[in-house]
Amino acid sequence: MQHSIKDDYINSIRNYTNQFEDNNFRSIACKDFKSWPGPRDETWRLSRLGSLSRKKIKPIYPNLKKTNNTSNLIGSKIIHFVDGAYRDDLSSKLPSGVNLSILSDSESLKYLQKIKKSNLSNHPSTNISLSCTPSIIKLTVIKNIKVKDFFEIIYEGGEDSHSVHPVLYIELEENSSLSVIERFNHLSSLVMPLQLTELGNKASLNSIKIFNDNKKTHNLSAHCINLSEKSNLNSFSLIKGGVFTRSETHAYLNGCGAKLNLNGIYISGNKQHHDLTTAIYHDVPDCTSKQIVRGVLGGKSTGVFQGKVRVAQHAQRTDGQQMSKSILLSENASANAKPELEIYADDVICAHGATVGELDDDQLFYLNSRGVPMDKAREILIKAFLEDMINQSVDNSLHDFVFKEAELALSLIITKETL
Amino acid sequence: MSLLEIRNAHLKLDGKNILNGVSLSVNKGEVHAIMGPNGSGKSTLSYMLAGRDGYGLEEGEILLDGNSLSEMEADERARSGLFLAFQYPVELPGVAGMSFLREAVNSRRKFLGEQELNHLAFVKEVRKEASKMFVKDEMLKRAVNVGFSGGEKKRFEILQMAMLKPRVSILDETDSGLDVDALKIVSDGVNDQRNNDNAIVVITHYQRLLDYIVPDFVHILSDGVIIKSGGPELALEVEKNGYTGLINAA
Ligand SMILES: Nc1ncnc2c1ncn2[C@@H]1O[C@H](COP(=O)(O)OP(=O)(O)OP(=O)(O)O)[C@@H](O)[C@H]1O
Ligand SMILES: [Mg+2]
Repeated sequence: MQHSIKDDYINSIRNYTNQFEDNNFRSIACKDFKSWPGPRDETWRLSRLGSLSRKKIKPIYPNLKKTNNTSNLIGSKIIHFVDGAYRDDLSSKLPSGVNLSILSDSESLKYLQKIKKSNLSNHPSTNISLSCTPSIIKLTVIKNIKVKDFFEIIYEGGEDSHSVHPVLYIELEENSSLSVIERFNHLSSLVMPLQLTELGNKASLNSIKIFNDNKKTHNLSAHCINLSEKSNLNSFSLIKGGVFTRSETHAYLNGCGAKLNLNGIYISGNKQHHDLTTAIYHDVPDCTSKQIVRGVLGGKSTGVFQGKVRVAQHAQRTDGQQMSKSILLSENASANAKPELEIYADDVICAHGATVGELDDDQLFYLNSRGVPMDKAREILIKAFLEDMINQSVDNSLHDFVFKEAELALSLIITKETL
Repeated sequence: MSLLEIRNAHLKLDGKNILNGVSLSVNKGEVHAIMGPNGSGKSTLSYMLAGRDGYGLEEGEILLDGNSLSEMEADERARSGLFLAFQYPVELPGVAGMSFLREAVNSRRKFLGEQELNHLAFVKEVRKEASKMFVKDEMLKRAVNVGFSGGEKKRFEILQMAMLKPRVSILDETDSGLDVDALKIVSDGVNDQRNNDNAIVVITHYQRLLDYIVPDFVHILSDGVIIKSGGPELALEVEKNGYTGLINAA
C-alpha cells in the first residue's frame, strides 16, 4: 500500500503554487511531488511515514508573532527563522564579509536546479518545501573572510496540524571560514528543512545541528553539500527531539583534497524514531571522509543509521572511514545500521564497522566493584560513550555546550529506564 | 570473629563445577596467599567474593565482619569494604581516571557516613597516593586503563586500593607482568596499607612476590578446593617442586 498524504494537504500546496507561472520554481517543484515515499522505497524502508499520512496538516503561512526562544550561546550571531520564514527583526546584525539575502525567483530556480542534480531530487522535503517556503534565504561568506563569531541559526514556531518549510543556502566563497550551530525547535506537526551548502576552494565550515523539535513533530530534513578543492566540512548532528526525526544528508566531494567529517549522535526514548541517513560521493581523487555515528536508545524507541559511501572509479586514494555504534538501554528499543559501500576505484582505504549492543558487563562490573551503584555506573558509561565521541568530533570551544545538550536528553531516558 | 569467612563455597559456571567446597578464615591484620595451577579457580573465587553477576554460590556462605555477603550486590560489597584488584583490569573509554576515583571514593565515604571530600582535598589525597605508586598526573587524566601498559594497570589498581582503604583486599595476580622495579613499588604500596584492622589475600603464581609481601598463611587451591595450607615455607616448596606432588598427596 502506498502511503498517501491527505489529498487536501497536496491540494492546498497546488492551489498555492497555481498563482505562479509554470516555469516558476514553486510550480516546478510542486509538479515534481509525486507521493510520499512508501515502504517499497528502499531508503525509506526503515523509516515509515505511515503515521504522518494519517495526520491532517497544511502548510503554515507565516505570521509575525513574537517568540520567546533566546540564545544560550553568549556572543553568537543569530539568524532566526519563525514558521520557516527569516525574521530580520529577531536576527543579529551581520559582521562585514557576511551577507544575507533573499533569493529572487530566477536565483531560486537555479537553487532548485542544483538540488535536482543531487540525489535529493525526489526527497519530499525538496519538492514540498520549495513549493511553499516563504523564501529561500542565502548566507554568503565572502572570499578570504574568516568569520570569528559563531553563527546560530534558530528555527522555531509552527503549530499543531501545520507544516513548516525553511529553505537555506549557505555559500562559503574561496578560502573563507565559518562556524554555525543550527537549532531546530519547532512546535509544528511537520517540518521539512531544506539546505544547500557550497564550499569554495579551501573554504572551511564547522557545522553543528541540534534537532530538538516538539515531541509530536515529524522532522524530515534534507541537506545537500558540495565540497570544492581542499575545502573542509566538519559536521556534527545531535538528534534528540521529535516523534520522528530523519536527517538526510548527501555530500558531494567534487574537488581534490576535500575533507569531510559527517558525525552524529541520536538519543532516543519513549516512542521516538530517529534516523540519520547519509550519502557521501567521492567523485574525485584524494578526498577524505570520516563518519562516527553513535546512538543511545531507551523506551520503545527506534534508531536508524544508513550510511552510503560511493567511490567513483577515478577517485583514487580516497580515504573513507565509517563507524557506527548504538547502545540499547531497554529491551523494547531497537537500532538498525545499514552501511553501504560502493567502491569502484582500486587504490582506496575504506573501513566501516557497525555494532548494536548493550552496555558492557565487564565495564559495569568493574565500576560496581569500586562501589559505584548500578544506575550510576550505567550513567557514567553512557556519558563516556557520547563524550568520547563529542570530544573527537566537535570543536573544542563547543564541547561543553554540545555535551550539555546531550546530557539533558540522556537524563530523561536514563531516569525513565531505571524507574 | 574472622574478618572474612568463606564456608564450604561451591560454585558452577555454565554447569561446570569450578569451586568445590572452599573454606577459608581471614582475621584482621593477616595476609593470606593463595597459589594454585592455572584454571584451579582462583579468579573465580575472587569474582565470587566481589559479587560478580553469575558467580553466586550454589552452596556455602561468605561473611564479612560476620555479615553475610551473599545477598549483597557487587557495589554494596565494595562499599562495605571489599576490594578486588583485577587480574585483567577493565578499560573504560571516555571515563577519566580522576573522576573514576572520585566516584569510587565518594561512594565508599557515603557508606561510611563521611562527608564527600571537596575537590581540592580530594586531588591532594590522590596526588599523595599516586606519587607513591609512581602514577603521573597525566595518567589520571586519561581514560581508565585505556592504553595503559600491563604494569601501569596494576599500579593503578593498587592506587585505587589506597584511595578506598578497604577492610579486605583480594589481589588477583597483581604481580604478573610487573618488572622488578614495579614489583617493588606495588609491594611497598600494599605493605604500606597493611594494618591491624584490615586483611589482604594475594593470589599469585610466584613466590618472589611473597618475599616482598610476606604472608602469614599460604593456601594451595586445586580443582576448586584448598588442598593444603601452611606458612610461607609452603610457597617455597611449590617453587621448588611444583604442584604435582602436593596434588597427588591430597
Ligand atoms: N563462564 C565460564 N564457563 C565455564 N567455565 C568457566 C567460565 N569461566 C571460567 N571457567 C573455567 O573455570 C576454571 C577456573 O578459572 P579461573 O579463571 O578461576 O582460574 P585461575 O585459577 O584464576 O587460573 P589462572 O591462574 O590461569 O588465572 C577454568 O577451567 C576456566 O576455564
Ligand atoms: Mg586467574
